[in-house]
Amino acid sequence: MSAPSFTPALEVRGLTKHFGGVFAVEDCSFVAPMGQVTGLIGPNGAGKSTAIDLISGFKLPDSGTVLFKGRALEGLPPHVIARFGLIRTFQAPREWPGLTVLENVVMANWDGRREGFLRGLAGLGRAQRAKAAEELAWAREILEEFGLTKLRNERAGNLSGGQKRLVEFARIRMAQPELVILDEPMGGVNPVLGERMALAIEAFIASGTSVIVVEHNLPFIERVTQHVIVMAQGTVIAEGPFESLRSNQDVIDAYLGELVHQ
Amino acid sequence: MSAYIVSILTEGAIFGIMALGLNVIWGWSGDFDLAYYGYIAVGAYMTLVLTIGPPIAPAHYILGLQLPYPAAVVLAVVSSMAVGLVVGLIALRHLRGIYFSIVTLGAVYVMYVFAGQYVPLFDGYNGLSGLFDPMGDWFGLDYLSYQWFLMALCLVMFGLVLLFMWRLSGSRFGMALRTLREDERAAAAFGRDIYRLKLKGYVLGAGVGGFAGALFVAYLSAFNPSAWSPVEIIVLYSAVLVGGRGNIWGVVLGVFIMGIVVQESTRFLPEVPGHPQIVLALRGVIIGLVLVLFLRFRPQGLLPERRYVDPAPKLEPATRTA
Amino acid sequence: MNEALLTLGFALVTASILALSAVAFTLEYAVTNVANVSHGEILTIGAYAAYLVHQRTGSAIAAAIAAALAGGFAALLMHSAVIGPFIRFGATPTIVFIATLGLSFMIQNTLVIFFGAANVAYTLDPGAPQHIGPFLLTPLDLQIIASAIAITFVLYLVISRTRFGKALRAVSQNRELARVTGINATRVAAATFFLAGLIAGYAGFILAESVGSFNPYFGFSFFLITLTAAVAGGLGRAFGTMVGAVLVGIILEFAGGYVSASYNLAFAFAILAIVILVRPRGLFTNARRTVFE
Repeated sequence: MSAPSFTPALEVRGLTKHFGGVFAVEDCSFVAPMGQVTGLIGPNGAGKSTAIDLISGFKLPDSGTVLFKGRALEGLPPHVIARFGLIRTFQAPREWPGLTVLENVVMANWDGRREGFLRGLAGLGRAQRAKAAEELAWAREILEEFGLTKLRNERAGNLSGGQKRLVEFARIRMAQPELVILDEPMGGVNPVLGERMALAIEAFIASGTSVIVVEHNLPFIERVTQHVIVMAQGTVIAEGPFESLRSNQDVIDAYLGELVHQ
Repeated sequence: MSAYIVSILTEGAIFGIMALGLNVIWGWSGDFDLAYYGYIAVGAYMTLVLTIGPPIAPAHYILGLQLPYPAAVVLAVVSSMAVGLVVGLIALRHLRGIYFSIVTLGAVYVMYVFAGQYVPLFDGYNGLSGLFDPMGDWFGLDYLSYQWFLMALCLVMFGLVLLFMWRLSGSRFGMALRTLREDERAAAAFGRDIYRLKLKGYVLGAGVGGFAGALFVAYLSAFNPSAWSPVEIIVLYSAVLVGGRGNIWGVVLGVFIMGIVVQESTRFLPEVPGHPQIVLALRGVIIGLVLVLFLRFRPQGLLPERRYVDPAPKLEPATRTA
Repeated sequence: MNEALLTLGFALVTASILALSAVAFTLEYAVTNVANVSHGEILTIGAYAAYLVHQRTGSAIAAAIAAALAGGFAALLMHSAVIGPFIRFGATPTIVFIATLGLSFMIQNTLVIFFGAANVAYTLDPGAPQHIGPFLLTPLDLQIIASAIAITFVLYLVISRTRFGKALRAVSQNRELARVTGINATRVAAATFFLAGLIAGYAGFILAESVGSFNPYFGFSFFLITLTAAVAGGLGRAFGTMVGAVLVGIILEFAGGYVSASYNLAFAFAILAIVILVRPRGLFTNARRTVFE
């Protein structure tokens, strides 16, 4: 693997995590470039989801480090990492089902000053009310962008799987993180929505959000990514543009190995 | 007749405050907290020991500072918030669902046992008494007119608490609590500090409970372990459930309905001479049945939680991209 | 040292009763994933049934059988009328938990209607205490310990050797999967509840014998200690629950020497809280349950 010639958005070094004697992630290292879409692929059990959990603070690594915007993230709780600019989604869509679609998008934006309890009682100051109104208008625009305007007052829990994914994307658009990690966004989604998602991802990049996508759907990976990392058995086995990996023997072995073991 | 109405309204107002506090923890944060009544009790006990005089043997209790009632209420609320903080720090860290409920059940049981058994604290099973017509002498009220005064006070306080809850409900704080209830992981992924936020909600709820306890004691003029009876507790939780968890108007409705159930069920039940407890027990069965039936057929309560409904956008000239 | 052994002996009695109650509760949980708050009422019902039969017949054995049967049918009814329908309806565990709380309240009050709220005294003569090894136990104590061991052994055989036991284990591990393989999960659950009720009803009988008196609320108080033992051992794991019960029984008995007995329950909960905080899945598992993992 050649040294990266781009600015890293995220740098992972030697990440390791084991569960009761089994190494889910072992000495995993990679760099995700800024301003690009990086794919993270690999057979089942390769450790991709665990790696994401480790990076985003939902699990504690045994060792290793995660560098983001010049700061080490390992050991930090998820909400601190999120506030710092790294947001992730989950394998199943995790909307807030009892809230409306619009409420879901508005609440994607964390604002410590407006969310205090005393603020809640006293009400917002004039400047804050202006900000809130702006935020609401922006939320409406985002919903428009994703074609969710008609559903904005719907209970988010009533939506279909694909629609929930779109709500998730809308939330990310709202939060405007510097890096978003998408955990199998195409999972359980009608392939017809694939292009829409690809466009949404491109819109993320355009607005300054770097993207890491974990996916099993390889055509989708080919469509959206500029750089791909392949994991197998807890560690990175190959890196490079998608095309170059097609003929990479290690990659083929890893996937075939999965087929053989099934 | 009107004395009956006065006491009903006073109790209803106090109960309403209790239910609104529970709604913060159970309705908004989504945690079925069984320790809640403990905070009401702390508020009640502390108000008593701060307003009555020093203990005269054979009674034992702490403090006995003879403070004016409003000061005692403030301190009582602070006490219940402190106890709530301790319980919350432990229970909210890692526990959810029934594990959380079980630990809070344990907490309230420990509180109950200490209040009832550890005599030096609140005179054990005898409990405390002696808070007669607080603030009545400020206005020169006799016994009868004091009842009206207390009712007005409680109704006003209920109104204030309701106002606070209404503001919080629509505020970002209230919404943030709800995101924790709906999906914690997603809330954390979008920057919410789950532990801290839940603690805030929990301590707030405990404080409101303590406040209700302080008012309750002005109404009862005494408090002891028998005031912690399971009936009161179940009626309170049923009120929040039946009316609609998360919806403050639902909670008020629930208090109203359970109040009616409790009152009216005794009216139509036969008196069995020589066995006074049968009527109470029958009422208990009915209340339990109401709870179970609602859990089965209408767990969201009568009034579902209100959501923000965005009005239809005004048609704008075609400056938007098609 | 003698003191300690004596206390240990008493602890064995408490532990025996506790073990039966806790394993019954664990069975209920294992097969439905529901923490049945009205479990304590099964013991109370058993105690009342035994009392009634003993009044009529004077036979302790008849009383014991009555207690077990009453408990079994009560538990079966609980499952068929409340817990089963709630599960079928798709209620969350917390909702069912609250429902069993309401049920517990209803049952206690129903018992008050029929039997009154006052204490009922048991008139079984425990016999003179004898020295068995280092312990000082009455024949009643010995019966309790012996019967607890016997029942545990029989239960072990049922769970590990019979077809029903196999079905039980399947349902407790994975309900959906069990269904797919043709097992009628609901019927297995109902039968398990009956079995658990037999054990719990009997436990109520020996508890009442051991304490000497009871009232409609005594099962609920004991339930709180039962819960401690069950959670300490790991909800849903029968063997762990046994060990948990023995440990809790011993701790309570020793602590009871220093603090007045009325603090027993508070103590039990302190233990429970510590266990849940340190090892939410019980003392015998490796998994640590945090909010996210």
